[in-house]
Amino acid sequence: MLQYAAQRLVQAIIAIFGVLTIVFVVMHLSGDPTLLLVPQDASAAMIAELRHQLGFDRPISVQYLDYLNDLAHFDFGVSVVQRVPVIDIVASRLPYTIELAAGALVVAIGFGIPAGIIMATVRGGVIERVLTAIVVTGQSVPTFLSGILLIFIFGVTLRWLPTSGSGTFSALIMPSIALGALSMSTFARMTRIAILDELGKDYVRAGRARGLSMEKIVVRHVLRNASIPVITIAALEIGNLLAGAVIIETVFAWPGIGQLAIQSIQSRDFLVVQLIVLLISVVYVLTSVLADFIYVVVDPRIRLVR
Amino acid sequence: MKTGIKSAAVLLVALMASVAGVEAKDTLTIDLPNDAATLDPHLQWNTDSYTIYRNIFDNLLTRDTSGEIVPQIATAWNYENDTTLVLKIRDDVTFQDGSKLTADDVAFSISRIIDPALKSPQLSQFDQIATAEVVDPTTVRITTKSAYPALLAQLVKLSIVPKAYVEKVGDAEFNLKPMGSGPYELAEWKKGIETDLKANDSYWRGQPPFETVVFRAVPDVSTRIADLKTGKADLVRDVPPDQATSIENDPNTKLLSVPTERIGYLYINAEAGPTEDVRVRQAIAYAIDKQGLVDALLEGYGAPVNVLGATPIFGYTDAVEGYSYDPDKASELIKEAGAEGAKLEFLTSPSYPRAVVEAIQQMLNDVGLDVEISSSDQATFLKRRQGDPANAGSLAYGAWSCACQDADGIIFPLFRTGSIWAKYSNPQYDALVDAARSTLDEDERKDLYKQAYEILREDVPGLGLFQTYALYGAAKDLDWQPSPNEAMFVMDMSWQQ
Repeated sequence: MLQYAAQRLVQAIIAIFGVLTIVFVVMHLSGDPTLLLVPQDASAAMIAELRHQLGFDRPISVQYLDYLNDLAHFDFGVSVVQRVPVIDIVASRLPYTIELAAGALVVAIGFGIPAGIIMATVRGGVIERVLTAIVVTGQSVPTFLSGILLIFIFGVTLRWLPTSGSGTFSALIMPSIALGALSMSTFARMTRIAILDELGKDYVRAGRARGLSMEKIVVRHVLRNASIPVITIAALEIGNLLAGAVIIETVFAWPGIGQLAIQSIQSRDFLVVQLIVLLISVVYVLTSVLADFIYVVVDPRIRLVR
Repeated sequence: MKTGIKSAAVLLVALMASVAGVEAKDTLTIDLPNDAATLDPHLQWNTDSYTIYRNIFDNLLTRDTSGEIVPQIATAWNYENDTTLVLKIRDDVTFQDGSKLTADDVAFSISRIIDPALKSPQLSQFDQIATAEVVDPTTVRITTKSAYPALLAQLVKLSIVPKAYVEKVGDAEFNLKPMGSGPYELAEWKKGIETDLKANDSYWRGQPPFETVVFRAVPDVSTRIADLKTGKADLVRDVPPDQATSIENDPNTKLLSVPTERIGYLYINAEAGPTEDVRVRQAIAYAIDKQGLVDALLEGYGAPVNVLGATPIFGYTDAVEGYSYDPDKASELIKEAGAEGAKLEFLTSPSYPRAVVEAIQQMLNDVGLDVEISSSDQATFLKRRQGDPANAGSLAYGAWSCACQDADGIIFPLFRTGSIWAKYSNPQYDALVDAARSTLDEDERKDLYKQAYEILREDVPGLGLFQTYALYGAAKDLDWQPSPNEAMFVMDMSWQQ
């Protein structure tokens, strides 16, 4: 168990390091922020001067080693655009993304899993068809489009919910639905497949033969066994939610790290982008490791050895 | 049942929010694409930062709605000689902490922005200034490195910061808690979300029109317009022309538009590729239907131009003839140059309107060229466009404004030999624009720019397409006349009685 954990940890660090390096190289190779900071009538000499002052005229390898050195000392640097410590910028926006991701997860799980159970057990009725339609819509409509549609219907036409902004419960509803829709479909589909898979197994037939009711079998045994693949999905969906948040936060003017990432990529605010990437990759890796460990709790037959 | 309670709750919240909106009439809410990056007026020159901090600070000079340079902190100015400008400073201005604004603060502000240690991205706008010194408490003397006619136009953009306060708190703290002498002071800055300002009750020009002003960051244009229509915002910036009608048709909103100094233009590489041949460049000029672009893509919110400049710009001339739309002549010239089917790379980025780029591509393909669009992010686009001619593409669309309303800020950086934007060199042209930037005689400067524009007409290293209009969506009862330099001074706005 311990050896397995250590192995996963090493893999995780290599993965995060790789992602950081790629992002660093790609961002630095395609141009520095100096050109975006100066007025457009600036002369070449002025641009060169500012570039020198900001340190972007140094070889990329030197900049990279400096960056790693700072990182090792937990120094995330100062934004060249905003001129404030990068850690403060990201920290001020992170709670918004956590709030939104939580809202979306509630939507996704709260609707997706019951829908999947119903679709697997109550088959061939109107309910199943309606649920299937919702699930298919959820997975096929792009998030930015569903976001704009929600704004148009519930914000502009019905005026039930605020069209943008943050800080109130009502402002959280639409972005959560828009962001959660895609994951909701994934949960519903995975739950349905997992349950159908279990229902075809011998122990279900044996249970039926022993005279147990279908409800009892489903609740006591099928759901528990079917939950394993669903938990994996849940963990991976957290990473996907963070990625989806980039678009949804822009549409709803939701001030999380997704919107910040877009703004910072556009303005070449390297250090901010790199810290966000670091954060997201850590979350990705941690959640997938977490999923592995939850397996054991749910199904002790699975052993964490290789 | 539960859903019923929930939707009732949602309705109640929405109702409360709308009631609050009615009561808060002394609050003005403005939606911008982004929040300010910095609030230190000497650190950042992006439009959103400028829009916000311009209301916290006073500038040395300003422009009236007709574009004339008029007093703000400076009441009068005169040239002692070609390189020495003396300005008189108002005696009745106080900063928001009650301290008096003096010549000391003005000289400090100039010295601060030209100090390389500050790393100001605006340095290039003020680098012709050698020194700024205090003569007496209400007089400042500015010395330039050489005669510099655009000095006053540049000083319009200089915000005055309080010397004592900046020195006391330091640059980093000043950025977070800025303090100026303007009509509004910072109430709260929720970085990346919104910036809240409150009225400076002792403002020297009188009581500001709203008790509080909220600038919100709303990146998506559809959301900004939805905010406007639902009353969540009173004023929104950067409305695309195709959304103009929907704002005009809504009974609660109105569209405000103003011709700006910003010019939509086409860069044509004169130093590499098929466009090195002047006949190909002239053919391109004949092939483009400027009026068509304005009518079809700008919905009429723009005006074709004859040169790379428009009426709000000093040095603009209507005496130089523009190219007429003549596709036949264009085809002929391309045949003559042997450039039929020549491949032209058209550089662009998402910052520029894709429809305009594609329309130009189509017009040029129609006359026998083979134009290929190559889109990248803005930093990559700039790196190529400003780099080596061989790698700078054949064409690029640009939207140019120096915010100085002077031809020196447009055609000098665009076409002067050695400038990062120029992929063109003509000693005769260089001599004219050099002379125009080193004399203070206005008539002589106008004549020099006219001659320069004539050379550009012949050589076509770039082509002025249209003057763009700034479009804003506003609440029906907001009274405001936007200005050609795209500034948003809240002091000039009010609710209609």
